[in-house]
Amino acid sequence: MKISKKIVLLGHFGVGKSSLIRRFVENTFSEDYKVTIGVHILKKSVEIPEEGKDVSLIIWDLEGNDDITATRLSYLLGTNGFIYVFDVTRPSTYKNLKNDLQFIKDKHKNIPVKVVGNKNDLVTKEFLKQNNDEFGRLTNYYTSAKTGNNVEDLFNTLAIELIK
Amino acid sequence: MLQAYKEKHAKAVIQYSIIDFNGIVLESDNVLFSPIETKNIADVHPFFESLIPLLTVENETFTFSCIHLEYNNCKITSDVILQTFNSKKSPLLIIHDLTTHYNNYQTTAQVRNESVIHSQILELKNDYLKEKEEFKNAFIANFSHELRDPLTGIITFSDILEQSGLNHQQLDYLNVLKSSSSFLKDMIDDILDLSKIEVGKLDLVIDPFNLHALLDDLKLNCIVKAKQKGLTFHYNFDEKLPKIVGGDALRLRQVLTNLINNAFKFTNEGSVTFNVSLNQIRAQKASIHFEVIDTGIGIKEEDVDRIFNSFTQVNNEDSYKGAGLGLSISKYLVELTKSKITVDSTYGEGSKFSTNINFRATPSLKLPRQKPASFSNIKKDKKYNILLVEDSEITQLSVLKILASKGQFFLDIVFTPEDVISKITNFDNEFDLVLMDIKLKENSGDEIAQLIRKLPEKQHRRIPIIALTAKVFKEDLKRYKKAGINDVIKKPFNEASLLEKMAMYLK
Repeated sequence: MKISKKIVLLGHFGVGKSSLIRRFVENTFSEDYKVTIGVHILKKSVEIPEEGKDVSLIIWDLEGNDDITATRLSYLLGTNGFIYVFDVTRPSTYKNLKNDLQFIKDKHKNIPVKVVGNKNDLVTKEFLKQNNDEFGRLTNYYTSAKTGNNVEDLFNTLAIELIK
Repeated sequence: MLQAYKEKHAKAVIQYSIIDFNGIVLESDNVLFSPIETKNIADVHPFFESLIPLLTVENETFTFSCIHLEYNNCKITSDVILQTFNSKKSPLLIIHDLTTHYNNYQTTAQVRNESVIHSQILELKNDYLKEKEEFKNAFIANFSHELRDPLTGIITFSDILEQSGLNHQQLDYLNVLKSSSSFLKDMIDDILDLSKIEVGKLDLVIDPFNLHALLDDLKLNCIVKAKQKGLTFHYNFDEKLPKIVGGDALRLRQVLTNLINNAFKFTNEGSVTFNVSLNQIRAQKASIHFEVIDTGIGIKEEDVDRIFNSFTQVNNEDSYKGAGLGLSISKYLVELTKSKITVDSTYGEGSKFSTNINFRATPSLKLPRQKPASFSNIKKDKKYNILLVEDSEITQLSVLKILASKGQFFLDIVFTPEDVISKITNFDNEFDLVLMDIKLKENSGDEIAQLIRKLPEKQHRRIPIIALTAKVFKEDLKRYKKAGINDVIKKPFNEASLLEKMAMYLK
């Protein structure tokens, strides 16, 4: 039976949500920043050998917004999993991280959320350690859409979690 | 004809499709995406796959704005409405192509977001540079401060050595030592000033002072320098110059000394001239013109703008030593008085540096009363008890040697607040004066001074306290005064500066 799961990427603008999806779906990266308006939807099938299943991920790339409460509710209908992305180099993108996560958990109970610090190629490990209190404790993955670091792992892990 | 044009240019922008509860397209007008009849809508675009679970929800309208769709070379940005009815009536899907509208919005959003991100990144870069600058300035300030204790040792023991019956050759060597340490002291002062300038913390301290005395002092220095270098020195001080003016005497001396030293440094033959004249006295302000003229090596036209930059020496010959800070600091100090330094120079012929500075000038200005500061004025038949609060062994030894050589002092040395209070409150041994280091390893001297000022016994809490410190900026002096410290001896100090200041407070 065909399994399909809707994943929604949330976060401020310019944090690299579209780049992460492009890296995962097409394995490409562009340095040029093109603003996402509305929503782009892409699809990729992921094979999960441990479960003997193929899962079709329908990935919703939402327009970035610094106020998560302003996200159009229709976009979130039927969501199976969230990926919240912030930019490790821009404090404004993670200063409300705790509140944003609480908002998602309150509105979408029992739906898995992965927290991702993107652009980790631009900072040192030492920097990430120093910011443990700021965002480290809440973050599941540090990724780089540019190098591909941890991108595949992020989506595959979420896919496994969604079919269990 | 008109109908033909309309058919050519009018583009239908809304597509209506009826689909069954499994997503199969039953009917469609195909104006945007075609052909899609009999296909499952989920195969047209992944967006529609997300709609499948909603098809069985009865009597509901789902509206989705700004959805990017693409099918069979048709790429649009649209609003999509899914209208469901009862379980017997198939859902209706309406796709409204709003590509032009959303493209305009995209352009606006692109400009807005890029600008926000750019300003955030710029702010971060600025914060980083500011932090780096603050670290550098703090490092320079602390490092310069740490150099002062060993420098006090060198200066003090050079003085002591000078009085120990040296032969001529040894005295020559000692003079090299003394001039090197004096040069080092000036450099440290300059670096410390610069670190304050860069964080905007260097302020002027305006007090009445004797301008005539200051100029005479500078004149004497010039005469000595001219003699040492075999140059002619000219000066002309306007008779109309007011004697007592209000201004920062220390910084005025610093600026003029820098200009004069520069003139002597870069002049190998000919003369140095120092002129001071009164422009005018108006509205209780005296505008005074200062100029220093030399017949030295001069400055190339293209280098004139650079000479006021920190660490810049346009002449890189080794014979002209210095860190290149003097002019930079002087420029800043003069700018604090809302004036500027002007340079006229001809390469190979000489230079003229001039400035006009305003001073307060009212007949009511009076110099603060000061006790005679000469050590010779203190009672010769009395032994004084001095308490030194200092944890630097070099400074301890320096003070000890200076005081011991006079035979009029008993010295106790402590460095913890407990010991200070215990010593002072001991009625068997009353102290005449406390010499207090400010930057102790564990404590701050001004905090200990505050403790002393709160002691219950009048004779204990009124004991004169003189700070020994390198930190003598305006805010530091205010802090010391607030803590009850009577006066300050600046590190590095020598025998004369220590004894003269002590003499002011010894009865």
